[in-house]
Amino acid sequence: MRAWRLIGLLNTLTGVRLSHFQALVVFALVISIAFGFLGRRRPMERVKYILWTLLLFILIGVGIGWAMYPFSH
Amino acid sequence: MSGEEGLPVTPAEEASPVPPSQETRREAMAFVVAAASWLVPGLGHALLKMWGRAVICFLTVGVLVWVGAGMRGNLFTSRGNDAFDSLGYLADLGTGGFYWVAKSLETNGPDVSRADGDYGTRFLATAGVFNLLAALHAYEVARGRKV
Repeated sequence: MRAWRLIGLLNTLTGVRLSHFQALVVFALVISIAFGFLGRRRPMERVKYILWTLLLFILIGVGIGWAMYPFSH
Repeated sequence: MSGEEGLPVTPAEEASPVPPSQETRREAMAFVVAAASWLVPGLGHALLKMWGRAVICFLTVGVLVWVGAGMRGNLFTSRGNDAFDSLGYLADLGTGGFYWVAKSLETNGPDVSRADGDYGTRFLATAGVFNLLAALHAYEVARGRKV
């Protein structure tokens, strides 16, 4: 009984509903931070790299989205 | 400039600072670090005392797996029907121990009939590929090729 409750709670906690844009931002943010930490050593360089990668991820993602828009109609 | 058998030797070979036995040990250690990094994301970097990178690798793979499983992404199994399923399985397996975490989180199974599930599949695959990249990075650092 307790195990079923735990699974139910876990389900509620893990049920993630994101819009297309939110998913893009979460993905871009997490990967940018990870790449920044792996690719650069100095804190300032990391911050610059993270911001630059995040910006490119979002701009290119939105750009590709708009480029595909005419084909969806 | 020539070697013991009269063969030409480059300056870098002649002045090799690491003896062969030490090189073999370093190579073995690098493999252990890479394997640890694959099994538990961030562990390889932690063994190399790179704490920041260790925490980031663990959190990145953890968040991607949590979100991917929460969106009910498809977690591929070894019984794939085609090459894409097999590639997906390899990518998912890249998460190491988190593969089974994702499996236990997805109590309702995958649902790729909605865009959410499709995105979740990509999140899970990215977590695996990123972890493999991090393991390769830890291996290179342990070999002394990177800092």
